[in-house]
Amino acid sequence: MAPRESSHEPTSTPDPVEKGFATLATLRIGVKAFVEKDGEKRKAEILSIQTRRGKPTFYVHYEEFNKRLDEWIPAERIDLSREVEWPAPEKLEKKKAASTVSKSQPSKAETSKVPKNLKRARSKLDREISATPEATSTNLPGKAARPSKASGKENKEHIALVSTEVTDDSTPKADDEEMDLVDVQDAAAAAKAAPPEIYSREDEIEKLRTSGSMTQNQTEISRVRNLDRVQMGQFEIEPWYFSPYPVDFTDAEMVYICEFCLGYFGDVTQFERHRTKCTLLHPPGNEIYRDDYVSFFEIDGRRQRTWCRNLCLLSKLFLDHKTLYYDVDPFLFYCMCTRDEHGFHLVGYFSKEKESAEGYNVACILTLPQYQRKGFGKLLIAFSYELSKREGKLGSPEKPLSDLGLLGYRAYWQETIVDILMDGRTEANVEDLGAMTAMTTTDVLHTLQNLNMLRYSKNQHVIVLTDAVVEQRERQKAKEKIKGRRIIDPDRLQWKPPVFTASSRTWNW
Amino acid sequence: MTQRVTGQRFRQRKLSTKQNLPVLRENEVEKLPDDDAQRHIPKVETGVEKGEEIEHHLQAVISASQAAATGGKVAQLYIPTPEAVASSLQYEQLYPRHFAQPATYIRFSSTVEDCVGCPYCMTSDDMLFLKEMNQRKGRTIQCTEDEFEEVMNFFEETAQTKQPYAAVDNPPVLSYEEIETEFDEAISESSRRFAKDIYEHWKNQRLLTSNRSLMPTLKFETNLETDDSDPYVCFRRREVRQVRKTRGRDAQVTEKLKKLRKELEEARYLMSRVKVREVMARDQLAIDRQIFEQRATVKEAKRKLGIKGDDEDLINQKPAPKPKPKVDSTAVQRGIPGMGPKPQLTRPDGRLLDSDLVSLQEQLAKKEEAINGFIEENLAKHQKWNQGWEDLTWRPITPPLEQAASRSTFRPVTCQQLPTPPASVSSENSGDNLNADQDMNKVEKQNRVVVRYASPPDDVPYPDQRRYRRRKGRGGRIMVDRRGVKRPCLEPIDERVLDRHKYSGDSSEDEQLYFVDPYDNLHIKYRMMIDRQGEKAQGIAQTRRSIGDSNHLHQNHNRSASGHLLPPSNAAG
Ligand SMILES: [Zn+2]
Repeated sequence: MAPRESSHEPTSTPDPVEKGFATLATLRIGVKAFVEKDGEKRKAEILSIQTRRGKPTFYVHYEEFNKRLDEWIPAERIDLSREVEWPAPEKLEKKKAASTVSKSQPSKAETSKVPKNLKRARSKLDREISATPEATSTNLPGKAARPSKASGKENKEHIALVSTEVTDDSTPKADDEEMDLVDVQDAAAAAKAAPPEIYSREDEIEKLRTSGSMTQNQTEISRVRNLDRVQMGQFEIEPWYFSPYPVDFTDAEMVYICEFCLGYFGDVTQFERHRTKCTLLHPPGNEIYRDDYVSFFEIDGRRQRTWCRNLCLLSKLFLDHKTLYYDVDPFLFYCMCTRDEHGFHLVGYFSKEKESAEGYNVACILTLPQYQRKGFGKLLIAFSYELSKREGKLGSPEKPLSDLGLLGYRAYWQETIVDILMDGRTEANVEDLGAMTAMTTTDVLHTLQNLNMLRYSKNQHVIVLTDAVVEQRERQKAKEKIKGRRIIDPDRLQWKPPVFTASSRTWNW
Repeated sequence: MTQRVTGQRFRQRKLSTKQNLPVLRENEVEKLPDDDAQRHIPKVETGVEKGEEIEHHLQAVISASQAAATGGKVAQLYIPTPEAVASSLQYEQLYPRHFAQPATYIRFSSTVEDCVGCPYCMTSDDMLFLKEMNQRKGRTIQCTEDEFEEVMNFFEETAQTKQPYAAVDNPPVLSYEEIETEFDEAISESSRRFAKDIYEHWKNQRLLTSNRSLMPTLKFETNLETDDSDPYVCFRRREVRQVRKTRGRDAQVTEKLKKLRKELEEARYLMSRVKVREVMARDQLAIDRQIFEQRATVKEAKRKLGIKGDDEDLINQKPAPKPKPKVDSTAVQRGIPGMGPKPQLTRPDGRLLDSDLVSLQEQLAKKEEAINGFIEENLAKHQKWNQGWEDLTWRPITPPLEQAASRSTFRPVTCQQLPTPPASVSSENSGDNLNADQDMNKVEKQNRVVVRYASPPDDVPYPDQRRYRRRKGRGGRIMVDRRGVKRPCLEPIDERVLDRHKYSGDSSEDEQLYFVDPYDNLHIKYRMMIDRQGEKAQGIAQTRRSIGDSNHLHQNHNRSASGHLLPPSNAAG
């Protein structure tokens, strides 16, 4: 794979880039320079500059690396022997706007429409992006984080004008409905929140120009991680992304988070004092699942506002696409814990809208970093589908997914579907597979396609259990035999789908 | 581009998701050309943001997994993430092992606030200060950490309530005096002892943070324009949007709130009026007591000095207090519409007790009067009902036989004339009856030939007069026997035949004449009285019914007035 070729990076648009040699003194925010990263030189953009202990330090974002790898680096790591790309003062905003287009709009259009009408939607996007990158840009860096105001979405939702056009092309019913909703809500939100969206480009430029340095711009702050280190339970964790913890914590070397109430403290004495008083030993809700490995708790965002806010603040440290713009009321939080004599240790959670207009069964999903790569993510996903089965609904996670989220889901989908197909059946249809697994037909279809299992043979479609897929599954099973298989046992789930009045779902009435 | 073309090909063939597809193994389908294997994987929507989809590490992992799916052997790749390492903090101390897992699933609804105790937590600076302060104090008065936190928390909360917009308008730090006035149960007595000492420390700390909250807090919306661009502002309320969304229901809500407010104000007004009333009642009690005591003094003085007469001054005269309560109660009533007569009831009671000694007789008389009034009223009503109607069904009133019967203890032959009023009725009434009888006789003579039997005809000697006897039959049936219905006849057979005809005929009874109008005021009154007298009312009614059933004489349209005319006091019985 050569990402550069298949990507729609704005670099492919004929924007002239001013290049030149820089010195330490001329480096400024927006400059792209080559930086040493893990033994190789990578192009990175300087997002912030600070003087620490008398020396300048740079906060850089590596191109084509996830934001979670952004970091503060000393000047020595910047290769000044190579030319840097200057952010041309006049072109600065144009450039940023263009890059935002590539980041936000395609995702919006693709997540909702492309699956059913891949080619047309994509070509349309291609057109739009390559032909009129600036005309379609309505979002600015940071502004992109603004969610649709009327919806209860937890993930970022971008107000993209392009979506209306694409709707006309897409035929699937579910998608149409979704689009209607998005249109209505976004339009309503846009009407209310119009000024920053519509005037954005010129006015934002003007604002930026008159208010001086880019670092003064608050939206830039969220691009820079604000916490250095977090202590939680038995672990010290390096945060991945910005989270709106109290501003005071920016200066703290370590932020201490109580493992049970998820309270946060910038001072170790305070934290220790808190620990003498805090009596919580598990998430403050009802345990709805328990096996010999994990327990699940169901927490209502409205009833446990403080705890759920604390949870969201914590998870925002590791989820880029989460927004804390709105309160936690319309969500339920399903928290997975392991147990010992200390109490219930929060391992991961997923949030879920009390009623999702788009039929999402997960809003945000996270395994805490200290527990990652241990198979917990799969349990979380499995549990979310178990709830959907109990509800008698098909579900899919809210988009956009994070990179890790995508991999987690793909692994789960593959295993689930391959397991069913390997039970000896000779026939299967996509809808039945969906009904058995509570997966949407789209997700089933994509999984089959992605594994090259859907083929055309002798004038008909067939599902092929490829040797590779079977082999992979067998290897997995062998591993499970040694390590033990962790699954969700539906019989241990003591849960009925909660019922909420329309107002309490959304408005806390 | 080839990838997309492949994807399109799938679509053109229109795969139905409902259609059953054969599940095959790889060796059951024709092999794809090797170089085509990878390309035949259609590019599938990932759901990841476009800008991130191209990220190096993700692409590496996706390629690896696709390679694996198409038969390649690739080592498992991970997306690199920042590290999480074991902490150096004393976990065992911070999180002691004292959790015992319950056998059943946990059900829990306490909030974080319920579980974390005092929200203020001491910093290391606080620790230092507390240590110094305790050193200054004597051994006997030492401030604990909990007490210190309680005081600090109280300061913080007071500042928050007194200066809610401190972040915006930068007011000076609250003075100790201002805080002291707010002392309440939120701060215990033992903690208060240190409040003054701790205040200086608190003030210094507040000055260091430009009078902002000492415990770091989240930034909530301030409804200023800066909110939107501030990434620290989080957890906005959604209700704000609600207003715009449902304007229609908004008006409804406003109406409800207005109404609620009005009702609350009315309730408040009512309470204030009740208070005024009770204050007045108290004052009056005091005055009454004063009057009583002064009268006692007067009495004593009179007794001592041997003064007689003018004793009326020593008791309350009736008319004086009466009008007063009426004015009051109407005032109250006017003030609160729909309040009902309750205050009125209590007031006269109290007043009566206070001002006047009420005699039982007086009360009884009143009651009597009320009942009589009720009867009169009903009579008038009845007459009105009957206006313009000719009553062809009237019947003589059935006399209360019980009295006579009980007196005679059911002796076999008790003669009585019907419908002669019983002995208890005054002579006037009987006189009236006689007159009426005569009138009837006249009417009768004019109109019809009737068998007269209801009253003793003048020309018949006593032995020949009709006599009746009442007796109890089987099953408690009441029977009335008669004698002297006809003049002694020589042919007894005829008599019997006559009798038979007489009492089996239907029409004959309608022709019977009675001397009394049952709706005559007098008789109604009479019946009322019977009903009111004693507890026999029920028995009478029963008996009457029995008579009606068993005795043809009293069979027809026995319209008992009791049902309509009972005064309420008896209605319950
Ligand atoms: Zn805690």
